[in-house]
Amino acid sequence: MTTLHATAGYLPGLAPADVQWRSLRFESGPTRLEVAVPVLSPDQMRALAVRVGHATRRHLKTMTVSGIVDVVDRAMARLLDPADPYRRELDQLLPIVTGYDAEMVRLGLTAFFKTFRAPQLHRFVAEDFANPKLLDEFQPRPKGGAAKAFGPELLVHVWAGNVPAIGLWSLVCGLLVKAGNIGKLPSAEPLFAGLFARLLAEVHPPLADCLAVVWWKGGDEEQASALYAEADTVLAYGGNDALDQIRRRLPVTTRFLAYGHKLGFGLVSASALDALKAPATARLAAWDVMRYDQQGCYSPHVFYVERGGRVSPREFAHYLASELANLQHRFPRRALSLEDSATVAGWRQGIELQAMAVGDGGGDALIGEDGAAFGVAYTDEVKELAPTASHRSIQVVAVDALDQVVARIEAHRPFLQTAGVAAAPAELFRLAELLGAAGVTRISAIGAMSSPEAGWHHDGRFNLLDLVRMVEIEQSAEIAADPLAPYAD
Amino acid sequence: MHNSSANPPAPTAAASDVVAAVLAFIAQDGCTDADFDGLALRLFAYQYANNQPFKRFCQRRGATPRSVKRWSDIPAVPIDAFKELPLRCEPPAASDRVFMTSGTTRSEVKGRHFHPTLAVYDRSMIGNFAQRFMRGHGPMRMGILFPTETVLANSSLAHYLALAMEAFGTAESRYFMSPQGLDLPGLCEALSDAQQRGEPFALLGASYSFVHLIDELKRRGQSFRLPAGSRVLDTGGYKGQSRDLPLDTFYAELSALLGIERSHCINMYGMTELSTQFYDAGNASVPSVKSGPHWIRSRLVDPLTGREVAPAERGILVHCDLANFNSVTTILTEDVGLAADGGFLLLGRAEGAQAKGCSLAVEEFIRAAA
Repeated sequence: MTTLHATAGYLPGLAPADVQWRSLRFESGPTRLEVAVPVLSPDQMRALAVRVGHATRRHLKTMTVSGIVDVVDRAMARLLDPADPYRRELDQLLPIVTGYDAEMVRLGLTAFFKTFRAPQLHRFVAEDFANPKLLDEFQPRPKGGAAKAFGPELLVHVWAGNVPAIGLWSLVCGLLVKAGNIGKLPSAEPLFAGLFARLLAEVHPPLADCLAVVWWKGGDEEQASALYAEADTVLAYGGNDALDQIRRRLPVTTRFLAYGHKLGFGLVSASALDALKAPATARLAAWDVMRYDQQGCYSPHVFYVERGGRVSPREFAHYLASELANLQHRFPRRALSLEDSATVAGWRQGIELQAMAVGDGGGDALIGEDGAAFGVAYTDEVKELAPTASHRSIQVVAVDALDQVVARIEAHRPFLQTAGVAAAPAELFRLAELLGAAGVTRISAIGAMSSPEAGWHHDGRFNLLDLVRMVEIEQSAEIAADPLAPYAD
Repeated sequence: MHNSSANPPAPTAAASDVVAAVLAFIAQDGCTDADFDGLALRLFAYQYANNQPFKRFCQRRGATPRSVKRWSDIPAVPIDAFKELPLRCEPPAASDRVFMTSGTTRSEVKGRHFHPTLAVYDRSMIGNFAQRFMRGHGPMRMGILFPTETVLANSSLAHYLALAMEAFGTAESRYFMSPQGLDLPGLCEALSDAQQRGEPFALLGASYSFVHLIDELKRRGQSFRLPAGSRVLDTGGYKGQSRDLPLDTFYAELSALLGIERSHCINMYGMTELSTQFYDAGNASVPSVKSGPHWIRSRLVDPLTGREVAPAERGILVHCDLANFNSVTTILTEDVGLAADGGFLLLGRAEGAQAKGCSLAVEEFIRAAA
């Protein structure tokens, strides 16, 4: 077994020798990776916050948004270059850390980084700011007066783990609004954020002290609280329990932006189910299931498939199963821990037993042999939206009309986000109305569920606007200023 | 209305034969691998022929009496099947004893284990208990920290403890758990009395009841030095009924407060879906090695493939209990184990791995929906 070593985090102003380190161990096939993660004292945490705050005021807050976009774009050009050492490190280490197939990670990263190039970032800013200069200087308001958007002094991120590099979203948001950024690494993927911070400092050295990447063990209250106390905004990803624990620790004056776990699903209209389109749709659906083994908030767990097309929902389920079988050859599912195996086995057994209980011999209830690295469950009965066991476990539900689905999802509003839809244009807009009312915030093509477009509104929120504070100069102040001018008559 | 319990239907001849064979096997002084396989295969053929849901389950896995050659070939039925399917060979009768799982969420369907007779369960329990808990000791004064069988008619643990007290307890033995909760004054009096008289005392009950006892004794600043030979039997874990105590702390405090050596603090591992229990040889160090009598065997598997895991790897426990004559002998648990010298270490339940990504975990969803 070869053992590789890596150091996580990014700690401007702290010498490695002054920090305690712990080792997180990852194994994938014959390779072991030891990742050293920093364990700061509460005092070090506070000092880091002060340092980041100072540097941000001096360097980041004085840059224009376009200048920041340019820096991020140059960093992305490096990460999109397969020969770049940073990119090579990611391509080598992230598959070991996450267990995902290396080719899946490589393709995923490239598609992901492409959404952070300059044109995409400008679009990202324009989504939230019709006039992006609001982030740079006071701009006249139509109602009179002027306004400027100020980002947080210190934005603390608490990142989640299993989709590699996912912390990039919020970190770039923080940079675009000129916040000082300190992010907490997830133990499941402790590498990307620190590496990106180093790259950013290399691309544009004045940014070196404007961000930091830390780690603490879940439940280490002291360090977490020390950092939270310095933040004016905390942005966190995680399960509702974890989010609730963070919220309880924040001063009431701290803005808290929580992104909870979500549950994606897809709708396939009869219009997408002819002999040509059905297999193609099933192939796209399989990609959404395969990408990062359904660990994304946007990943689908249930496909509702309409009856009445040339291809029946049952046949669609079989197409989906054979596409997943194909994808298993190209992008094998990662090795499962015993706990994950037990979860998947439990899901499969549950379906099997329920089918047996109603006297069905099992038939199509579960497509995919025992031991296959995916499972497609099929049911003729309209079923409530519910998560599967993930790891390429997907439920196909036949429905008479897609409108029926609304009643099956609206009770789960807090968990809704992405719906993939394959339907004709008029149907798409009619369904979008219903889905939106039920709580869905993102409707994508099937096949694009697990790769949101640049500038998407995560959970229907304004990624940048939610971070800023608008400072307004009211017209009265402007008018009152006039008589005080040296040139006043 | 006709009361069938007054006149229970006679068991079928096949069932009587099976019961007799199992009782004889339990009465044996150990067994060879071939003996074990012999009865396991006989029970498999019987259950395959007399239980349609089990037969369908086996067919889906391509297992028939012809293809199954060893006990380890018998398809392991996930314990959830006790909730979904009627797993029994004898037709239902009003005289059946039905043990039900406790269920951890309020809306959960309960697993049911049907016993047309408790003769096998009782024999299995008594022989094993005499050896592993009483360790050859004669009748002992017992205190039970669990409701009676009258209060919890469908609890296998209530029956187990009633049987323990009836078969091995002295006349002074009694329950210290009422529907109102733990009878602490009564228990303290009994413990003081035993301490004064120098007679060993056995305290048995659910693990979470002992946590409450620990908390109460600490609150009162009270402790005991129970006479040599005194012992404790706890079982079932905390099940969210008490605070969660690390195993080592649990036994350290129990031992200190009662004055019972940790080697005499015995944990029983049993399940509603089984008719036989596992014990350790005390908890001087944890986790302790669990083992059962000669009529139960276990293996550790990957739950997805059903294949046995490598010797030093954790796996999910599968038990083949020959005392399960009426349901299914072989069950797939949700417990994680690790092979150890003379048995296995029990490492807790296979909780669904915590969602590390942003996809919703089933458990969180269920809690939100409940």
